[in-house]
Amino acid sequence: MSRSWVDAILAAGVVPASHVPEASVGRVDLEEFTGADPVEDPELRVRSLVGAPALAPPSVGFLDGIEQWRVVGYAGVTPIVRAHVAAAIRLREGDRRLRTVAENADELAITRLDRLPDAVRGALAGTGVRVVEIPADDAGQPARALPAARLEVQKARAALERRLAERRLARLGSDEWLVVDGVLSDSPALSAHPRAVGVVKSHGAEYFEGPELERALTLPVLHRTSVFRPKRRGARREIYSWYLRLWPWEGNDLLYGLLRVEARAHPGTVALAPRISAWLVGERAPLATPDRRWDRLLYPIYDVESYLRARAPRDLLPAPGSRLPRTGT
Amino acid sequence: MIDKASFQPPPIGRVVATEQKPATPHQFHFWTANETSIGIGAIVRVEGFGAGDSGRVVYGVVTDGFAYSDLATPLHDVVGAEGDPARAAEHPTVRQEIRLWTAAVLRQRPEEPLQPVPLGAVHVASDVDVAQALRMDAYLGGEQPTAIPVGLYTSGGLEAPVYLDADFLLGPEAAHLNISGVSGLATKTSAVEFLLASIFQHFPPHKGRVAAVCFNVKGPDLCFLDQPGALEDEDRRRYERLAVQAQPFERVRYYAPFKADGVNLNTLRTHPDLVGDVEPLVWGLREVLDYAEVLLNRDDIDAKADAFIDFLADRVVDKEFDDGFGGAHRVVTFADLERLFRSIFDGLELAGRGDTWRTHHIATIRKVRNRLSNISTRCKGLVTDDGPSSDLPWGRFEDRAVYVVDVANVDPLGQDLVFARAVSKLREHLERRDLGVDAVVVFVDELNKYAPGDGPDTYVKKMLLDISERGRYLGLVLFGAEQFRSQVHRRVVGNAGTIVFGRMDSDELATPGYQVLSPATKIKLATLPIGELMVRHPHFTQPIFVRFPRPGVLRGRDGVERFPPAADLPFEDAVVRQLVKLDRRVRPNQVKDLIADRREEDVRRALAHTRQARPQDAFAHFKKHLGGRVAAVPAAARESVAPLNRISDEPY
Repeated sequence: MSRSWVDAILAAGVVPASHVPEASVGRVDLEEFTGADPVEDPELRVRSLVGAPALAPPSVGFLDGIEQWRVVGYAGVTPIVRAHVAAAIRLREGDRRLRTVAENADELAITRLDRLPDAVRGALAGTGVRVVEIPADDAGQPARALPAARLEVQKARAALERRLAERRLARLGSDEWLVVDGVLSDSPALSAHPRAVGVVKSHGAEYFEGPELERALTLPVLHRTSVFRPKRRGARREIYSWYLRLWPWEGNDLLYGLLRVEARAHPGTVALAPRISAWLVGERAPLATPDRRWDRLLYPIYDVESYLRARAPRDLLPAPGSRLPRTGT
Repeated sequence: MIDKASFQPPPIGRVVATEQKPATPHQFHFWTANETSIGIGAIVRVEGFGAGDSGRVVYGVVTDGFAYSDLATPLHDVVGAEGDPARAAEHPTVRQEIRLWTAAVLRQRPEEPLQPVPLGAVHVASDVDVAQALRMDAYLGGEQPTAIPVGLYTSGGLEAPVYLDADFLLGPEAAHLNISGVSGLATKTSAVEFLLASIFQHFPPHKGRVAAVCFNVKGPDLCFLDQPGALEDEDRRRYERLAVQAQPFERVRYYAPFKADGVNLNTLRTHPDLVGDVEPLVWGLREVLDYAEVLLNRDDIDAKADAFIDFLADRVVDKEFDDGFGGAHRVVTFADLERLFRSIFDGLELAGRGDTWRTHHIATIRKVRNRLSNISTRCKGLVTDDGPSSDLPWGRFEDRAVYVVDVANVDPLGQDLVFARAVSKLREHLERRDLGVDAVVVFVDELNKYAPGDGPDTYVKKMLLDISERGRYLGLVLFGAEQFRSQVHRRVVGNAGTIVFGRMDSDELATPGYQVLSPATKIKLATLPIGELMVRHPHFTQPIFVRFPRPGVLRGRDGVERFPPAADLPFEDAVVRQLVKLDRRVRPNQVKDLIADRREEDVRRALAHTRQARPQDAFAHFKKHLGGRVAAVPAAARESVAPLNRISDEPY
């Protein structure tokens, strides 16, 4: 999909805009539910990884996705957003190099159709672009419309990732693992697969409080917590999880170097937790710099992101220049 | 001559351009996979596509390469490995890397309008591409092709012959070849030997006849050009690919002066099986006097000495001459000249006529006498005091023949003389078009010595400059070799249309003359293997690396091992050998009996006459010129007269 549909709606009378919201170049994980049940220990404990043998799967696929969006025009005060979502799996095998084995991308227009003039609606329909609507309540207020649009973009990206992961799981080799950037519990297939691991970098949801919370967030480097089961909420599937500290947080921040790992809710996961943790600690290097989340971002995930960004439309990135009015010179 | 590419290989790279590294009409950048056959010197083809670029093809040669990863700073690698270099290699994932190459444009099709290189796919060049890229298509085909194979361009598993244009190598469009490289790898000599073979086999018939004169200035380098050398299968394959026959030169003529004894040749080609091919190079007074400037320009030649030498050359040598004291002279040899000098000095002394003779001051006469006699002393063996000379076959040069003049063991003064005279004679004959060939390649090694960038303007240097600047009109072509190009006179190297580089010294590459080369090209030059060269030619926009096969001749060092030089023969045996060479019927004992107790100079003179005449009966001719034995008569006591006045304070 090119900019042709944008040109079409501009021709239909939409006032052009060029606004890349701050959050559009990154992604924020969906809000998570809180509360957890102990699985490995009666209460959350800290376990050292020293001496734990690392799992060393011969081939590992790393899945990640990106989302980029831009307000391309306004019909009255109703924004029309152009969004690009993409996801890819890059497989690492014996030569330690990553190669793309699956990828998908989608472009969508996000707006509220019933608030658009007929001509604009007609133009959108004529281009064939997939249109996603924001709730009617949010459409009238730009201050609410943009967060609503952002939510739709995130949903689209998550759905794309899920579809790609599920397709890959169907063909996953017997000794191949799949590491997903984010939660597994969105997908029944992912959350039940024995060789799928979710790596969560954001910690919007808290599962513990009091001493357990303190133990989780002050986890020493190269330690993990005992395995717990986040409490189910909504459509989320049952999953096992634990925290893992990749880098010492002292001198930085409580969340510095802190990952939350997800794997299927199965006794085997408890047995594998030390080995999976040791494996992920090994993935600290090479550093995922210059990404500022490098303390929690595994290099292969960073690589997938780099790959997707390199292939994304360039005009969705913030313009490097000033947004001052153009002088015409 | 060029094989058509039988398939279209997939692209191996893609042109990229950024604001910092844009594509220009003369340079572009492209990336390849990490595993690539591309390297410095590789020729690539870029195909344009899309509006404005469709159909545009650009050829380039890789001049530099870069590799880097997404590592933001080296410190991050240290942190990731926790300070342990060994752990850095154990990272589960290899960082993203890039192989980025810089290429210089060789040619664009179409050539107008000249535009930046399109951001298209990059392909490895095929044979056809190489011909196009190097503009060889202009002289490879047509009714009168002028292509001379110089080597094979090899890259990425592809191999393509590279040709020089005879019109630009041997004239008249451009001419001359200069080759630089460190000593000891035999690359320079080998390259010239191979190229001469290639020229002899591919010199276009419409351009006439060609020969080469090679000055062997060190060791046995050029002493075995007629003997086959050891070749490997790879060499033979390269010969086949270049359509050049792997064989020694069919016609080689060797010339070397005698040693001081006047009968043993001063060359390393004295093995009994080979020495018969070596002709002596002996020059007399006339040959030397014409090039007196070579010998006298070093320190104290002045107008007066010059005038006296001219007087000798014009009025005395080869003429009946009255010395003014009643003596009649016919000066043909150094011995005759010495007799004239003695007569002049004695005459002045006896007559008491002051210190001038025929307007020439006696000090000038003494100086010239001193210098000339010094020549016959220092170059004894090359310059003969008496007897006829033996010279190169001026006017009878053969087509596709190599004339090797071995002056490796000759005094530097003698080397200068040989070089100056031989080149002057070549020039004279080429001007008159009566040399026997239409073009002559003159190969001179050690240009650092003969045409240095600094130092006095010697006759030899002036002559090399003259060849460099005007030789191409005559068909007189200089193939010069040296270790340090930066130290050779810039007009000599600057006039060379074709420049060849073997492995170069790093210090030499740091000199300003190599600033046009990229650092990567310099590194490649500094580590170039034997058998690989970098070639610049007027048709090539950029230097090209080629590989050439080992020459099909015996290398000097191998030749000396296979044909070890014979020890110098005693005088009598050496005379016998020379006579036997002229006439197989000559009986050694007969010769030895004849020359027993005879003065060596008389024997040498008779031998020289015999050599020059090449009679049917060599012994009879030799015997006749040697003359009868004359009994010694005691010399009468000489009456001496004290000088009336002191002639001069000159210490000569």
